[in-house]
Amino acid sequence: MIRNLFLFFIALICALLGLFSLTHREPRADFTYVNPSGIHTLDPARMSWMQDFRVALNLWEGLTTWDPKTTEPVGAAAYFPPGRSADGLTYTFQIREDARWSNGDPVTSRDFVRGWRRAIEPGTSADYAFFLTENIVGAAEYVRWRQETVDALSMLRSRGRLNKTNDELRMILPRSAADLEKRFAEVGLETPDDTTLVVHLRKPCPYFLDLTAFATFLPIHESIEMLRSNEVDSPLTREGLVVYDPQWTKPDYHRNGYPGLVTNGAYSLSDWSFKRRARLSINPYFRSADDIRCKTIDMLEYDNVSASIMAYESGDVDFLTDLTVPYQHELVRLAQSGERPDLKLCAVLATQFLNFNCDSKTVGGAPNPFKDARVRRAFTLATDREKLVSQVLGNGDRIAKSFVPPGAIPGYTPASGIEHNIDRARTLLRDAGYTSGEQLGHIELLVTSNTVRLGEALATMWEDALGVRVELRAQESKTFAQDKISRNFMMARGSWYADYNDPTTFLNCLTTANGNNDTGYSSEKYDALLAKANAEANPATRARLLSDAESLIVETDCPILPISHSTELIAIKPYVKGLYPNARLWFPFRYVSVDR
Amino acid sequence: MIQKIIKRLLAGVATLLIVYAATFVMAVSIPGNPFQSGDRNMPAEAEQALRARYHMDNNWTFFTEYLAGAIRLDFGPAFTYSDWTCNQIIASALPVSMLIGLLAILIALIIGIPLGVVGAVRRDRLPDFVGLSIVILGISIPTFVTGTAALTLFCVYLKWLPVGGWGTVWHLPLPAITLSLPFIAYIARLTRTSMIGTLECDFIRTARAKGLPERVVIWKHALRVAFLPVLSYLGPATAQAMTGSFVVEKVFGIPGLGQHFVNAALNRDPGLILATVLVFSAMLIALNIVVDLLYGVVDPRIKAAV
Repeated sequence: MIRNLFLFFIALICALLGLFSLTHREPRADFTYVNPSGIHTLDPARMSWMQDFRVALNLWEGLTTWDPKTTEPVGAAAYFPPGRSADGLTYTFQIREDARWSNGDPVTSRDFVRGWRRAIEPGTSADYAFFLTENIVGAAEYVRWRQETVDALSMLRSRGRLNKTNDELRMILPRSAADLEKRFAEVGLETPDDTTLVVHLRKPCPYFLDLTAFATFLPIHESIEMLRSNEVDSPLTREGLVVYDPQWTKPDYHRNGYPGLVTNGAYSLSDWSFKRRARLSINPYFRSADDIRCKTIDMLEYDNVSASIMAYESGDVDFLTDLTVPYQHELVRLAQSGERPDLKLCAVLATQFLNFNCDSKTVGGAPNPFKDARVRRAFTLATDREKLVSQVLGNGDRIAKSFVPPGAIPGYTPASGIEHNIDRARTLLRDAGYTSGEQLGHIELLVTSNTVRLGEALATMWEDALGVRVELRAQESKTFAQDKISRNFMMARGSWYADYNDPTTFLNCLTTANGNNDTGYSSEKYDALLAKANAEANPATRARLLSDAESLIVETDCPILPISHSTELIAIKPYVKGLYPNARLWFPFRYVSVDR
Repeated sequence: MIQKIIKRLLAGVATLLIVYAATFVMAVSIPGNPFQSGDRNMPAEAEQALRARYHMDNNWTFFTEYLAGAIRLDFGPAFTYSDWTCNQIIASALPVSMLIGLLAILIALIIGIPLGVVGAVRRDRLPDFVGLSIVILGISIPTFVTGTAALTLFCVYLKWLPVGGWGTVWHLPLPAITLSLPFIAYIARLTRTSMIGTLECDFIRTARAKGLPERVVIWKHALRVAFLPVLSYLGPATAQAMTGSFVVEKVFGIPGLGQHFVNAALNRDPGLILATVLVFSAMLIALNIVVDLLYGVVDPRIKAAV
């Protein structure tokens, strides 16, 4: 019997092994890199992660793109520069005649409108839909109108009153469906012909051509319409949404005659297996396809950074974008000392900081000492950032005294911030009415579970300098995010990555109405300065206004405490040419050549 | 017999329902937004529309619709990986974990049983001590240490095997062996203890008295009885090896199911949490039923009690 059991066991394993050997192996790609956290989505409208953007922007091409060395906007699917009206409110893009989809179709202006429209639709819209709704005439109004339909239907459904015979439903859906095109026509996008796209902006946007390179602004091929799921005779689903089969990003998906994912960038997706690998192959119709050296790119997903580093060391992988391992400080040292020239540090446009809760009371109802700007300033003065960055972080980050990283954005000089000064910090606390640190009561610092070391260092620093008692609350990231949004903290760790090359990507976060203002900071002066800068046409004056605004938040009011400007460590094999370390971590693979 | 099987299956379905309900309550009540990613806060309206899209705006409808889907073996979309359905994710990850897990259990049996038998027969002598040392090492060194050490030695220094990843036969041996180490230890220990007891039984004395060679007495007569505790351990052990190899999968970068258990919870992805928990529970229940039935086949004395 035992023998039979063994035989059965072995037969089962043989069967699995047989299946296993059937998965065919393609030859090694021209260029291989690892994406440790994996692709979250390949739907450009739904993306939030840098790793996803990187794949998307190699598959698709927007109206503009970023130069791989300088990250300045340059031409892509449209000629550069586009026509711009004198008031800066109208852009006229001329799409290149040789812009082609990976199935040979010409790229048209309607493809862009399709992509942009999809990106703002409720139920699809994600983190970056605001790029469109904030800037394009009528987009926010359209979304608001759409949202009303969805909310009404959702309410009916949760009351259990949604069925086919329900009169209310019968009215709501067709009414919105009938108005759909009419309402969208009010959005400031025009397509006078196949190659012309006219965009009307709500307000001047000096960085608009930087935005149009972003994934949210990518075109979508018309074949996606084959995968639209909706009620019979209606463009909308029962929920009032515009929904496409989420499988549309697959190269081998063919329901309803769908050709599989069609893209317009230098590469097309030829294979994607979940959590294993994505293979990009050259788009033969791309205008400079013949000049591109790497015809195939493999993106491997290892769920483990250490394993990916070993794969890099053993030569299986040519490029790593993430080296976040416990021994990272050692790798940073090797990169800085030049012992490992293949390890490179990229000073990225990002800032790590602390949020102060500026509300008058904490969530628990206790009085909040941090509502007083002097207390916040005192804590900033008592923070020795040199020590934090050199002794605690050890990841190559640069000291941050301002919110916007210095030297990164052309024409902008960030505010200088405040220096470490314990005596002044103590004086300020006394001015605020606290003769000893203990009078501040119980101070809580909220950190994520992977920033505990930073939290401990800060707590010790403040305890030594101000005599306050600081308690650390470490949370796993999703719970942390929830507490941060509901402002259930006194101080909380924050980090911000620039979305575009302009100081407002940072500074907007602290305006009164901004959804990413976790501090509750609200200053009329600050909001007015930003509004004034927004309306300012002269770049120099605009930069000065923004810098004034920044000095409010890092020198006077201090709703945030900047700690460091991030540095990312990447690894490029010496035989790989055409990858340039840059502040946006933007790596277009069409310029890469590999000479092993 | 068939009646008993049906009874066990019904009890299994009831267990699954309870597991589903308990997991559901936990999955929807833990704080955190499944749709949020990164540092950026999601506008409340956008989140509301996404919840409507996935019918998560009402917990009760979500509960019933998901259950209805699960009965049809359709676990719906994954929220964090919105391009994939839970079915696709499980279909891609489960065979990987199963293959590694089964290989590990096979290795554990092949090494663990002889180790235990030798330990029992040569009790308190050198072979027993050697076996015991292996067992203690296997149990006490965590797999992330042995795995990383093996990876460094065989893949980075010796370059015999590829580092991590999946797709060729050469990706199999290291993770399978690493995963088998604790199971080797348990199986060896179980076999040894049970063998020592069995060797003192009357029927063994009878077998010896009949003049059977010692080899036959031990490997045929005694092992058959001594194997029973190992068999009952095999059910949960196989389930555990096939679905709980998270650490090993992580170390070797293997695209198995283990990572989804952990990541689904970290991402607050209710669809994937429920799918992975249900699949794991179903496997555990099924394997336990199979083992109980096999018990009766291996040992006629137990047939009546199943």
